[in-house]
Amino acid sequence: MDSDHKFLMTRIAGGDKQALAALYRALERPVYRFIVSRLNDPHEANDILHEVFMDVWRSADRFEGRSKVQTWIFGIAYRKSIDVMRKRGRMDLTDESFDMVDDSPDAVTCLAAGQEADHVRHCLETLKDDHKSAITLAFYQDMTYGEIAEVAGVPEGTIKTRIFHAKKLLLRCLSGRVERGVA
Amino acid sequence: MMTRDDLNALLPFHANGTLEGAELAAVDAALQTDADLRAELAALQAIRATMQSEEMQSPGDLGLARLLRDVEAESAIVPAPVAANDNVVPIARLRIWQIAAAVVLAVGLGLNMLPDAGRAPEMESAMSEDAAPAAEQGFALASGGSADFTVIFAPDATEAAIRALLLEAGVEITGGPSALGLYGLGLLESGRDDAARSILAASEIIDDLQ
Repeated sequence: MDSDHKFLMTRIAGGDKQALAALYRALERPVYRFIVSRLNDPHEANDILHEVFMDVWRSADRFEGRSKVQTWIFGIAYRKSIDVMRKRGRMDLTDESFDMVDDSPDAVTCLAAGQEADHVRHCLETLKDDHKSAITLAFYQDMTYGEIAEVAGVPEGTIKTRIFHAKKLLLRCLSGRVERGVA
Repeated sequence: MMTRDDLNALLPFHANGTLEGAELAAVDAALQTDADLRAELAALQAIRATMQSEEMQSPGDLGLARLLRDVEAESAIVPAPVAANDNVVPIARLRIWQIAAAVVLAVGLGLNMLPDAGRAPEMESAMSEDAAPAAEQGFALASGGSADFTVIFAPDATEAAIRALLLEAGVEITGGPSALGLYGLGLLESGRDDAARSILAASEIIDDLQ
């Protein structure tokens, strides 16, 4: 898969618009999903997605092939999302405090069988941006922690720490909702 | 030897199937003996499955069309030669062209005012003859006459669209562009102030009208 993407990148660097279209078709959905998960605004995400692929077009010749194409493009999307959030002035969302916390595996397992989507969506939104991004890349995109570190431009250890905390907060949030009986 | 926190941090990557080598072996070994860890892994796998199953409407073909349109526009660094009857020129080029015309005219006028500046008599004559038609062609107007209106054209306005609008409104360019992109427009003899203003105000290629 990545060799296909790298081939397309070479063509794009040479000015091949059809190759750009092919790469867009291959990666548009996951990149868009990632941006929406960060910005929570589909319209703004449309524009950022557009900007990301414009950047791909403009800078394809600077792609050195040391990382996966997907990782490189997610890195662009990550940085552009940060720019948007900075403009909004909402870089650091505070974590929701849970007064009925139960992160026992039983509660979590019960939740997994329930109204998963709503709960997961809600709890993801309560995470800080860094935590949410790490979990999103791990679970939506199935990235390794090394790839996530590359996207975010931080050391691998930082990603492990973020994932550790994100997972803990996510499970607590989900368990709390089960305990409270949130529909 | 991994701590429990280390194992916990790696668990999401076991859930997404990207863990390998010694780390995978260590987590697998811990899972065999730790029921809580197994339950947590099951929960993470369920969360991942839930996230991945969510449908999301992406821009799709519309987004691709927008992308290719903008790429096409950006790729046109060297514009194709304009055919004799093709007057569709973006406003950015129009401005450059007008500035260039104004510079050429100014140089021409300046040379004409310099007596015998190392110039052969036949050249002086040629310059005088060149300058007069240039003024008649409207270049002198762009250097700044009195204006009934001041406008800013939309960045993507074409010369053809501007010309059509000016004709419809009964106005001509009398000055500009300024550094801010302002153009002065003057009424032609046949033009009427109120009618011209309403036509200009209703036009999509006018960004600002004073």
